Amino acid sequence: MEEVKQDYLKNRELDEGEELLLQSAVEDGERLVFVLSTDLNKKSRYAVNYLAATDAALYAVDEEGKWDRIAYDSIEKCYVKRNYGNALYVIRKKDGESVNFSRFSYKSASLFDAAAQFTERMAGGEVGIHEASVAVEAALERQRSYCPKCGRALSHAGAECIYCQSKHKLVKKVAKYILPHKYVLLICLVLSGLTTATAMLPPYMTKTLVDDVLPNKKIEMLGTVVIVLLLAYVIQYGIGMVRSYLLRVCGDKIVRDLRSDVYRQAQYLPMRFYDKTSTGSVINRISGDTSTIQSFMLRVTQEVVVQVFTLIGIIVIMMSMNWQLTLLSLIPVPFVVMGSRIFGKKIRPYYRKIWRRWSAVTSILTDSLPGIRIIKSFTNEKSATENFDSYNDEWLKTDIRSARITIAFPQIVSFVITMGSLLIWAVGGRLVIENPDFITAGDLVAFISYTSMFYGPVNFFANFNDSYQSTLAAAERILDIIDAEPENNAGEGRVLDHMDGKIEFQNVSFSFDRSKKALSNVTFTIEPGDVVGIVGTTGSGKSTLINLLMRFYDGYDGKILMDGVDIREIDMEYYRSQIGYVQQEPMMFHDTIFSNISYGTPEASVEEVMHAADVANAHQFVARMPDAYDTVLGERGTGLSGGERQRLSIARAVLKNPSVLFFDEATASVDSETENLIQTAIERLISGRTTIMIAHRLSTLRRANKIIVVDKGEILEMGTPEELLAKKGKYWRLVEIQTMSDKVAASKAEERFE
Amino acid sequence: MTDKTDLVLDTVPTAPPIEEKPARERIYIDGDEAHFERVDLTNVDLMMFDGRRFPHLEPRRLFPRTGLERYITLLDDDGEEVAVIRNLANLPKAEREIIDDCLNEYYHVPHITKITGRLEKFGVIKFFVETDRGDCTIELRNIVHQIKLTYGMRVMFLDNDDNRYEIPDIRKLDRKSMSYLNDYL
Repeated sequence: MEEVKQDYLKNRELDEGEELLLQSAVEDGERLVFVLSTDLNKKSRYAVNYLAATDAALYAVDEEGKWDRIAYDSIEKCYVKRNYGNALYVIRKKDGESVNFSRFSYKSASLFDAAAQFTERMAGGEVGIHEASVAVEAALERQRSYCPKCGRALSHAGAECIYCQSKHKLVKKVAKYILPHKYVLLICLVLSGLTTATAMLPPYMTKTLVDDVLPNKKIEMLGTVVIVLLLAYVIQYGIGMVRSYLLRVCGDKIVRDLRSDVYRQAQYLPMRFYDKTSTGSVINRISGDTSTIQSFMLRVTQEVVVQVFTLIGIIVIMMSMNWQLTLLSLIPVPFVVMGSRIFGKKIRPYYRKIWRRWSAVTSILTDSLPGIRIIKSFTNEKSATENFDSYNDEWLKTDIRSARITIAFPQIVSFVITMGSLLIWAVGGRLVIENPDFITAGDLVAFISYTSMFYGPVNFFANFNDSYQSTLAAAERILDIIDAEPENNAGEGRVLDHMDGKIEFQNVSFSFDRSKKALSNVTFTIEPGDVVGIVGTTGSGKSTLINLLMRFYDGYDGKILMDGVDIREIDMEYYRSQIGYVQQEPMMFHDTIFSNISYGTPEASVEEVMHAADVANAHQFVARMPDAYDTVLGERGTGLSGGERQRLSIARAVLKNPSVLFFDEATASVDSETENLIQTAIERLISGRTTIMIAHRLSTLRRANKIIVVDKGEILEMGTPEELLAKKGKYWRLVEIQTMSDKVAASKAEERFE
Repeated sequence: MTDKTDLVLDTVPTAPPIEEKPARERIYIDGDEAHFERVDLTNVDLMMFDGRRFPHLEPRRLFPRTGLERYITLLDDDGEEVAVIRNLANLPKAEREIIDDCLNEYYHVPHITKITGRLEKFGVIKFFVETDRGDCTIELRNIVHQIKLTYGMRVMFLDNDDNRYEIPDIRKLDRKSMSYLNDYL
């Protein structure tokens, strides 16, 4: 009888043997829904195992073909337990037994999260297979949205990876910055040719002086030779000056373009990049690495070409003068080339190490200097200095170790080259003395001059590897930013006619890294104009909800809809322009108060800015300042109190006139009086707009018509404040605790006044 | 007659004492005051000899990188800390083994014994390694952040999928393995 091949979901193609293995495990009459291949067995050893789901049961199949089966109707709960190094698929049965059903590495974590959702739905028996397996389908689709070669996000599932297409990425990237300056570089190259050609003249003139002018006492000819030499030097150094200036300007432009590109790209990098990369290291790349690459570009486009021509020119001249001595002078070359290769291999890891150590030093600077108040308030200056010194010393040690190689190598090369010159003196000198017909004294002096000029390019190419290696290391780090995938669809995607502010979370799960889940299967709907308070303990996932809504992170499972449209499909620029976001610690820039308020709306008129400040209860305190709106704030807004900064940030949001507003603990760090001022400002602002407010102080949520209680990444309660109070659940407990602590605080305050 | 100095000292205002009461009572386990029973791969029941019992606790390291035996916290199913073991070395052998087994299970990280190859392509660095749990490939995209050397000998890898790997002592690696690794340390 012919076997009917089943169609089911899977995370990779299975071969015939695997198909047979799974078919033999599954009981007759059951239909496979999905099969997930894992990379670990239950004992944590690397092996291909499988989690298979049918319409009636779950199967865990190991590499030896043994399987376990658990029927859905015996399952009470199913979840993924994340350990430090890997994760377990745990099933709790209705009889109380807990089973570690399958084990997997974090590569498959999101698939197994979806499988757990499927299992729970099937165990609940409320939905059909198709509905239950939606999450698994979505997780598999998301897996296809990553390049299998490099792991970078693709524009859509199954798309070709732009990064992996480029084979000569370094050359291409470098060429992009050089091409706009090709004519100037070409002129510089011609000028180089001229200076190189004139540099060939002096040794020939020396030969004439030694062989002809001096022995024959030709005074007039001496004058001519000196004038020719003078002209040669004037041309050589005059042209050299012009060429150097042109190259400097060209180099500055290249480094400016490169820095701008890296900085521009850094603006569009997703938050995930910054979660794992220190600002110090990004600054280091923008400042130091770009200069390294720039100087290398100039060396490649100029020096390499010039040195090649010089080398060829000199060899031709030397061969025409005396081919035997020319061959003699080539003896050191193989040693120099071999040494260069060995040197290159040895030095590259050092450049990486030096950069890592330097990056650590920069990170200390960028972390500690902005926090200088904290350092001083804890009188921690000494320990901060010691900490900095320890990193600085590490850099020094590494740099000294590399210096032993980088300094020794050029010296050894020069020594080998000098040996070559000595050889010419020894052999050539003997020939001049014993056989003056074969070679004259003038020929020998000129030959020695050409030999030293010949070793110049040899030395250049021997040391070229050094700068090539340091540039490779720098280029790697620059490309890490330039080639990193930017935030999705910045500047593209859908633009809605109007944003009403209906927000829907549909089975949203998210983790900052795969080893810890921040949100699990979150589902809720917010209607246009709703004022929603999100409450929960610290670390419960409140801010993560806002982070996802702001699209700081797009890599989540499930869907978030704005007015019925997936927010990942909406143009990022448009989307964020419609949202007002007020943070707990608002960021102010080192600029005037006026510019800080009009930060997101630079075209705003003076009166619009003043009106925004009025609405935000900020105008009064700004007007009292000596420089009022022209007051230049210190770094991060120093010079203003926390409450004043907060009111400026609200003014910013007012000016933006957004459709949707998010407040993340906007009044958490201010006193009660300032809280009232901010609160009235917020109430003016939110009128008629969909608003989500995260608040520790429940008093902040007096205008909320809906409350969502979040705990451990899950929605615990949701409803109107009255409904939740009547329910006497978590929200009610939080209100009770806060009322009590408010009473205690009030009575203590009274005691102090008394 | 009162000495002038005493008078000055007597009138120096002193800061009010900070309340001694801690925010929450923490149970410290120092030695043989508790008994553990393993209930599953990573959980234990705790029985204090003063009669208190705490079911289904998960031992976790408070310093997983820098102190493998010191300060082991015991968390309940809600992730709340119930007790802290100050130092595993002070526990009776049998109790210690139970906690060790749970920790080894939770913190199971493949130990790399040999690096057999390395490939850099498309901006991804692949290390082909032998571990105590079999052969595998580690894929990294950012060598600066995904390889960490601590104490000059212990190397931790965090791959592109957030899996962890460890070389407990790089001095025990063979020369070839070291040559693959050395470029990135």
